[in-house]
Amino acid sequence: MRARDNPFAAQRLAAIPYRLSGPTWEELLDRLAALRCRAALVGPHGRGKTTLLEELARRLEGRGLRTRLVTLHEGDRRLSAAQRGTLFRGLTARDVLLVDGAEQLGRLAWLEVRTRSRAAGGLVITSHRPGLLPTLHECRTTPELLAGIVADLVGGEEAGRLPSAEELHVRHGGNVRDALRELYDLCAGLTSSPAARTGSPSPRGR
Amino acid sequence: MEQIQIETRDGATVFAPGETVEGTASWQLEKPARSIELRLFWYTQGKGNQDVGVVTTVPFPDPALQDRRSFSIPLPAGPYSFSGKLISLIWALEVVAEPGARAGRLEIVVSPWRREVVLQPHFPAV
Repeated sequence: MRARDNPFAAQRLAAIPYRLSGPTWEELLDRLAALRCRAALVGPHGRGKTTLLEELARRLEGRGLRTRLVTLHEGDRRLSAAQRGTLFRGLTARDVLLVDGAEQLGRLAWLEVRTRSRAAGGLVITSHRPGLLPTLHECRTTPELLAGIVADLVGGEEAGRLPSAEELHVRHGGNVRDALRELYDLCAGLTSSPAARTGSPSPRGR
Repeated sequence: MEQIQIETRDGATVFAPGETVEGTASWQLEKPARSIELRLFWYTQGKGNQDVGVVTTVPFPDPALQDRRSFSIPLPAGPYSFSGKLISLIWALEVVAEPGARAGRLEIVVSPWRREVVLQPHFPAV
């Protein structure tokens, strides 16, 4: 299968909206307001924190706020000059700072973000662990969530030919992003299903 | 309903590098546009992050609500349209009306062989 035809291509995954479970969006935004718009989205890798942050940004902008997003990667202990400019230049109370991957920052860099964000209308972060800011939402995944995403991407009938969501969810420890990457490789013909590799029959009759 | 369309001369969608793409962009808008422009660009799609390269931008000044403009854009020497299992590179023309990012798109193929290059996995000799 060509990469452009792969239903699990990164661009198609990026278009999947966050499926909020538990509170409604209104309740989540009310809770954020109650926390003076300073809060964290918490969860391990592959639980949808970034997707939720992006959706939250759209909804905050829909309420007339401006958002400023920086994304930190593994080992980013400090903000770059460009990231500092994005976050702090000409900050007003209409601005909400969004820091994706805040747990990467070193102690001093995090203190700077917290201190300088006082001039902003809010600070929302994602983090693998709680404690940096009050938790607004804990991102979790379930096999049902994964099954729903897969069905949306490939259709229900085709989803039945793929490894089951339960199996994938367990194999990747709840990391939906990694599970979807496995399905990308499977559709691309880069790997065979684990069941096929071991020679055991697949429960879905691949 | 708003419509934005791109048509190339003779409906061609496959071109060799360096050729000129000629055609017309037409639109029917419900709300006025501050600006409308045609973009020639390529983008990648696949397992990794997306790359985008905008090659040419052609503004259409003073756009009316319903309008039709011709264009002529020379294509660069590359990159070629290609697809493998991990990544595809796709060329496209897009007309974008602002505000609102209202857009119409036409995918094209840019290749000296006049078809998308399909990458085959290489298995070293044993």
